[in-house]
Amino acid sequence: MDPKLTEVSQLFERLKASLMRNDLDNCSNLLSQLKVMLTGFRSLPPLFEDSPNAVQELTIARNIYEHAVVLSVKAEDQDAFERDFFQLKPYYTDIGARLPPSSQEYPILGLNLLRLLVQNRIAEFHTELELLSTNALENPCIKHAVELEQSFMEGAYNRVLSARQTVPHETYAYFMDLLVKTVRDEIAGCGEKAYDYLSIIDAKQMLMISSDQELCTFITEERPDWEIKNGLVFFQKAKESAPCKEIPSLQLINQTLSYARELERIV
Amino acid sequence: MTQDVEMKELTVVPSISVSSKDVSSTFQILKEIVSLLETGAYAREVRRIGQAVRRTIQLRRKLKAFVLSSFLNYALTQGSEAHTRLSSYLPKEDEHDMEVDTATSATPLVKQSLPELEIYCYLLVLIFLIDQKKFSEAKSCSSASIVRLRNINKRTVDVLASRLYFYYSLSYELTGDLAEIRGNLLALHRIATLRHDELGQETLLNLLLRNYLQYNLYDQAEKLRSKAPRFEAHLNQQFCRYLFYLGKIRTIQLEYTDAKESLLQAARKAPIAALGFRVQCNKWAVIVRLLLGEIPERTVFMQKGMKKALRPYFELTNAVRVGDLELFRSVADKFASTFNSDRTHNLIVRLRHNVIRTGLRNISISYSRISLTDVAHKLRLNSENPVADAESIVAKAIRDGAIDATLDHANGWMVSKETGDVYSTNEPQLAFNSRIAFCLNMHNEAVRALRFPPNSHKKEKESAEKRRERQQQEQELAKHIAEEDDDDF
Repeated sequence: MDPKLTEVSQLFERLKASLMRNDLDNCSNLLSQLKVMLTGFRSLPPLFEDSPNAVQELTIARNIYEHAVVLSVKAEDQDAFERDFFQLKPYYTDIGARLPPSSQEYPILGLNLLRLLVQNRIAEFHTELELLSTNALENPCIKHAVELEQSFMEGAYNRVLSARQTVPHETYAYFMDLLVKTVRDEIAGCGEKAYDYLSIIDAKQMLMISSDQELCTFITEERPDWEIKNGLVFFQKAKESAPCKEIPSLQLINQTLSYARELERIV
Repeated sequence: MTQDVEMKELTVVPSISVSSKDVSSTFQILKEIVSLLETGAYAREVRRIGQAVRRTIQLRRKLKAFVLSSFLNYALTQGSEAHTRLSSYLPKEDEHDMEVDTATSATPLVKQSLPELEIYCYLLVLIFLIDQKKFSEAKSCSSASIVRLRNINKRTVDVLASRLYFYYSLSYELTGDLAEIRGNLLALHRIATLRHDELGQETLLNLLLRNYLQYNLYDQAEKLRSKAPRFEAHLNQQFCRYLFYLGKIRTIQLEYTDAKESLLQAARKAPIAALGFRVQCNKWAVIVRLLLGEIPERTVFMQKGMKKALRPYFELTNAVRVGDLELFRSVADKFASTFNSDRTHNLIVRLRHNVIRTGLRNISISYSRISLTDVAHKLRLNSENPVADAESIVAKAIRDGAIDATLDHANGWMVSKETGDVYSTNEPQLAFNSRIAFCLNMHNEAVRALRFPPNSHKKEKESAEKRRERQQQEQELAKHIAEEDDDDF
């Protein structure tokens, strides 16, 4: 075996061990060393040279980046996740046929979909989705993310929340927690438009808040125009403050001027 | 005019019986094309080369191996590199053909080989190979031509080159190896950009987009598209393709309004003969309009020649219009294979949300007050907790402005508000504005599309004949002066 390859795999074993121990500082330290060493392999993207050890090198590199992605989730670093994922992606798309399939592929792809959903990058979510085959769409990890997006678009928020209990992979929990916050904001936004008032108990249940105290802090921090009176939460204030209809004079002037300009060009 | 008459005569001759008259007339046309190419090359008139290409396409069905090989003998120097290579792609002709062959190719064209002519021969052989379904030969032939093209930098070759690029990509697409040539196409696009070959850029950009979209690489396609240099389109066909690819990218990225515009424009601009292309455009346009919450008119589905192809989309539209989730699901299942082969399956999944919205809107119009249980029942939400689902779905629809209603949680019902007078809002003004904008835009596009004969502004200056006369006079005068100068010494 190539000495460089041996060194990398030894270091990689150490990385795996410290990831098991949840020693994140040590992990990121080892990972940056590994990434530097990977640049020495000429068979990796973007060069794709056909060296005798290509398959082994590619496999170990893919493994390392998969662990890097998991590590970034554990470290709760979304930027690092994005970087690592994009480094990993060519191993699935461009040279997927040359390597034996990885068991981590679908969980990680699903995780990425979830991240895009949490960051509300729906366009990119759908672009990624197009790259997946029908087989991949059947995979529980991917399906989970796809169904979440659907429920999210429809507004069936309670389905989003119940999906939290059925995460297909332990790494998903971090993003699901983030999603809950987004969902709460959405529900609050919809609620103040749809209801005139809600009882405090219903409001707590709807917003997934456990105590009255928390509800009060939520209202004062996020929705200061709500009002609590006689055990009811009134949204009326928020509605009244919505801008009343007025004549969009500036817009009309602009339009009329543009008509005049265009007509001048014709005549 | 004469060309047209000739073409008509030719089509009368049945193509099955290979009479020597047919062969010789095909050969005659090829000769005419060669002369067109030559005048085009010498006079640097790109228009003539374009004409030559168009006539070749008309000739396409009549090409036979022996006609081609005798044409190669005629047009290229025997024993030259191009001649040997191209001849090797053609199948060996039998005895009968040889006779005809000798009769037609008696007088080979002895001239220094023009690059235009050589490239043209490549194009002709390539078209022939693709029509004969000899794809592996076509692939090697096209690759060889691409290598040759890199070393030629001439504006008159650009027209031929852009056609060659197209067939190059087509031959690889037919064998399913489109990913292989992506790097080459990118390199060619760069070369074309550096040489200001706009026709080549336009063709290659479309080929690249097609290449990416074949593998669903929407991200890469969009990045290339947004960064590639843009200019006024030269060819309508290429522009249509570009619009179609643009529409597809925009649809995937949820920019439905822009997508709709591009797709409809592509469908309108496409030539009548390009039925397959128009069907594709219409399919996508229908989905995009549905996603936008519009219902396409029935006439869209009843267009000539498209009725059958658009049938699944018609039923889909119907399901969305009614707002029936059950019907929608059954249609999606029934035509699943069609939607999968059209690669619209993921878009159809997105439509579910629109079906619910339409259903909800229908309910809110019909009832002034309805319980959420009934709403869930009417929408046929199949989930563990339909009432809670219905409540949050309605809440979101209210927030997005799809329906005008309020919810009463304690009693568990939805109360619709009185629909106000639409003329008291800005709605009519907005509709009016968008129509005016459309008309003005149409006018501007029409003005921009006007064509003027080239160099008509120079006509008054001097005709070519006069110029030659004047130059001759000047030369004589110069000679005269020179002689006088000699005399002085």
